[in-house]
Parts: sequence; C-alpha cells; structure tokens
Amino acid sequence: MPGPDKETDLTERIEAFLFDLNRGGSGAGPLRGSAETARETTALLRRITAQARWSSAGDLMEIIRNEGRRMTAAQPSETTVGNMIRRVLKIIREEYARSRGSSEEADQQESLHKLLTSGGVSDENFRQPFAALKPNVIEAINELLTELEGTTDNIAMQALEHIHSNEVIMTIGRSRTVEAFLKDAARKRKFHVIVAECAPFCQGHEMATSLSKAGIETTVITDAAIFAVMSRVNKVIIGTQTVLANGGLRAVNGTHTLALAAKHHSTPLIVCAPMFKLSPQVRRLSFLSDFYRYCEILSKVNVHCPVFDYVPPELITLFISNIGGHAPSYIYRLMSELYHPEDHEL
Amino acid sequence: LDKIVLVEYFRAQMRKDPDMASAVAAIRTLLEFLKRDKGETILGLRESLKWATDCLTGEDSSVAVSSGGELFLRFISLTSLEHQDLSRCKKVMEERGELFLEKISMSRTKVAKLCHTFIKDGAKILTHSYSRVVLRVLEKAAAEKKRFSVYVTESQPDSAGRQMAEALRKLNVPVTVVLDAAVGYVLEKVDLVIVGAEGVVESGGIINKIGTYQMAVCSKAHNKPFYVVAESFKFVRLYPLNQQDVPDKFKYKADTLKTVQNLSEEHPMIDYTPPSLITLLFTDLGVLTPSAVSDELIKLYL
Repeated sequence: MPGPDKETDLTERIEAFLFDLNRGGSGAGPLRGSAETARETTALLRRITAQARWSSAGDLMEIIRNEGRRMTAAQPSETTVGNMIRRVLKIIREEYARSRGSSEEADQQESLHKLLTSGGVSDENFRQPFAALKPNVIEAINELLTELEGTTDNIAMQALEHIHSNEVIMTIGRSRTVEAFLKDAARKRKFHVIVAECAPFCQGHEMATSLSKAGIETTVITDAAIFAVMSRVNKVIIGTQTVLANGGLRAVNGTHTLALAAKHHSTPLIVCAPMFKLSPQVRRLSFLSDFYRYCEILSKVNVHCPVFDYVPPELITLFISNIGGHAPSYIYRLMSELYHPEDHEL
Repeated sequence: LDKIVLVEYFRAQMRKDPDMASAVAAIRTLLEFLKRDKGETILGLRESLKWATDCLTGEDSSVAVSSGGELFLRFISLTSLEHQDLSRCKKVMEERGELFLEKISMSRTKVAKLCHTFIKDGAKILTHSYSRVVLRVLEKAAAEKKRFSVYVTESQPDSAGRQMAEALRKLNVPVTVVLDAAVGYVLEKVDLVIVGAEGVVESGGIINKIGTYQMAVCSKAHNKPFYVVAESFKFVRLYPLNQQDVPDKFKYKADTLKTVQNLSEEHPMIDYTPPSLITLLFTDLGVLTPSAVSDELIKLYL
C-alpha cells in the first residue's frame, strides 16, 4: 500500500542521512561541503513535509523539530543542518500566518512595542488545519532550494567590486566559496594569491592547485609565515564554517591568527559566507576543541587537534553573502529575518 | 490625585517589595493614577500623566524611573490611537496595563535564563555595586550547580557593594569585596565582568553606578568580556556622546538637586559607558549586540 511504504521509505532516507552525517564527522566517510549538506537537509525536509502524516502546522513543526534534534545530535559541528531546519520552521510559521490572514510581520519578534500593545496571550498554537498549507510550504521550500543553489554564484558575482588589479590577496585553507570568488575575479583582473596551507590537513595545497589551474599566480606559505608575509598583503579573503549571532566566526583553525595579523597591519578582512551559514548560536566558551580526527597517537602523548577557531567580530571588516555585503554589527538583523526566536533552541 | 498621595503610593510600592525595580514601581503608581483620574479628554490625561511622572522623578531621580514613565506615556499614546472613546479607551488601558506589568515582572527571570549559560564552571566574575538583575543571574547559575566565585566592588559613596556581598554569601557563593580603586589590580584574575544597568541608551551604551565606565575601560584593556544585564523597560531615548552629555537631573540624587546651588562641587552618582566597550547585552528581548539596541527603540517609538 502506498501509505506504509512511503513511511518506511521516508524513515529509511532519514536514517541514511543521519548515518552519513555521523560518518562524515569521524573522517571515514566522504567529506561533504556545507552547501551540499544544506541542500540535502532541505531536500529531506521537503520530503518529510510531503510524505509524513500531519494535519496542522503544529504537528508538522513538531515532526520537523524532532527529526531536527536527531540530525543535530548526529553531527553537532555541522551547523548548517540546524540552520536549514530553523529556516523551514520559519517558512511554516509564515505560511500559516498568511493562510490565517493575519499580518505576520508584527507578530514576529519580541519587542518593546509588542509588549506595550498586545492585548493578551497570543493563541499561536498552530493547530488550525488549512488545506492549502502543504502545497504552499512545499513551494516555499522549493524557493529556498533555488536560493541555495545560486549562493556561490551570487557571491562570486560581487568579486569584481572587491578585487582590483595587481593586488595581493591572502587566504587560508580551502573554501569552495572563496575559490569561486577568486576565479570569477580572475576572468577580468590579474592579481596574486597567497594561500596559507592550514596544517595538519594542508587543504591549502588543493586550493593552490585549483587556483593555479585557473591561471592565477599562487604562492603557498606555512601557517607560521602568516605574520611575516602580512605586510605585503592588500586584502585577506576567507571562508568560514559558521557565522555566529554576534558577528563572530567559527572557522578553520589558524583563522584567528590570520585575523589578528591582519588587524595588526590594518589589512581589511573579508569573509565570504552564504546566508545558510548564519547560526543563532553565540559563542560559548566551551565548544572549541571538541572535534578530533583520526590520527596516529603515541601512547603517552595527548594530542589536541582543534579543527575550529573562534574569530571575534572586531577583527572582521566585511561579510559578503549571497544578498550583498554587510558589516559584522548588522548580522543580528539578518538573523532576525531568517529565523524565529522560538526556534533558536530546537 | 494630588502630589503627596502619589509620592506616598510610590514609596509604599518600593517598601512593599524591595526586590522590585524602581521603574516597575513607577509604572504601577502611574497605572493607579490612571485608574483614579477623573479627566474627560485624552489630552488632559496625557498632561496629568506627564505631571505625575515629573512628581515621581522629583522623588527618585534615577534614569529607570524616567524611562518607566516615558514608556507608560508611550503606552497611553499607542492605546489611545486605537480607541477614540475615552471610557472604552481607559478600560483597555487598564487591562493592558495589568498585562504589561505581569510581563515585565517576568523579565528578570528571562534575563537570568539567557545569561547563566555564559558562566562556566570555575569562572571568576567581577561585578559592580548592587544590582538585583545580576543577583538573579548568579542565583540561577548557582542553582544550576555551577561553581564560581565573585569579586564585588565596594562602590562608594553608599557602599552598595557590601549589600551585594551579603546577598551572595547567603547563596553560598564565595565572594570578595574589593576597593573601587582595585579594579585594575583584580582584573587579571577575572574571567568575565557582568554589570547591571540603570538605563540603556540609544547608542547601545549604558548608564550605571559611578565606576562602571572605569571597569569597562579596564576590561577592554585586559581583553575580558564585559556583559550587561538589563530589562527592556530600561531602554531610554537618550544619546549621550560623552559624560557631559548625560543630563544633570540623572547624575545627582533628587534631594541634592533640590537643595544644592553649585552642582560642580557634588560627586555624580552615575556615569555613561559607551557601546564600544560592551560585548553583549542580555535583555528579556534576547541577547543583543549594542547595535541592536537602537533597532529595538526605533521599533517602539516609530
């Protein structure tokens, strides 16, 4: 029967996704880029909306929240999964409000205005069923998927405004977004790129090979040489794993060093990050160094290998995202447009 | 309702619940004034409320009372726009006023819930003077079985810091009282600084007991995070650019303002801390960066 078959098919897919997420973290499975993870998560959420059994918006949100909790628990360092879930939850809220006909702009955030004018406890329990809700939500998720597909291109399109001829650009490690950004600028301008190799995985080497294939003059340097070389650099352009709510970054290790060196030389630091990397988390002092990769360890030696660094917002000059350029102090505003405050904790 | 009764009611509110914020007491008093008011027009109502707020600021000159009064006035204006008829309007105002008071009495709990996660085990916290919000945050952290120790500044001229230390000792939190002048000395041992605020200004800076600015400058120099905890009704429409810009009516106690002729001989009770020195603000509207504060104010007053 189509009913139970669809359900088992759905649960199978969810399990497969969770398994992949788990493996991706331990280093044994294929390493996927965050754009891919975001796309797969959103596709899976669309499938859940289409195939799971739910009658009102509240039920759907519960289902998605539960699945979301499992997904984030499978791989806590991959924040794009949680971000996409929160985006979809916000979409559901918006579609529900639109179906009900109320003006949902006013209802969104807690604000002083809302405190003063609200007439009572809002009855937002999302229990009213609407027939048109399902196709509307699926359509909105499709729009989200289209947006996700275009992010790298949208960012790369802004490259010519920021990179000028004969400039020396520094970057660290390997970021697909920065790669596309630099390659797009290379079509019309000639410039040099210095790549810090980012030990111990040395992803900078792959980045350098890829850039030089596109005809860009590239130099690879060790991480220790970052400060020494910084005086000759005009701009620093980096990618990041996550953008935090206070405008700070969670980026590959070595980025904080790079940012401090750039600040010391007053070199602008530009971060290329698509909007799906924006996370409502604020930096807690404990999440650093909680990610260990498989490597050979001598028996009496403890090797700590943090994979991520925290970069405070004061060291960042500009964020370039698929919707344009923003200052770090503006990130809180973008966050309030993407996510609903009640979804910050899944 | 005449001046003496009004002031007496305000004082009684403060006495009845010493834990209540002075802005909340002010709003409660104004709500009571509204209920007893015999005015015939909305404009008359606004006028008498303005007069009442002035009486209250004459009694207690802190920024919080002023911001509470302005918020209430704004509340009246917004409500009166919706209903033209005065009696209907007054009923709605009274209902909403009670609801508003209920909500803001929950603010401290919301702030504590947001902030206590930033206190990790083994943390050493520095705080300034006596703040009920900071006390609530530390209470929540202690209830979550976090181990931390606190340094409190004595905070002259009224030694309010000692009161804070007493309250913390009751919670079994190890606390040390330090001289106001010892802030720079103590900062190398400290992990984070948490202070309350009497008022949060439009730029995202704060107005708080004198000595806060000093603490902020020192923590910036030592690279320690400087957190501010404040409820949202303390947001005030001021934009001081430096210490001189803060109006005199906030700087000195109400009695001082009435009796002393030459204010330049008096010591101010508050100072202004600019937003560049503040890391994050914890309010019942969420965790805000200083740039987000003006957004909130615009949403209210637009």
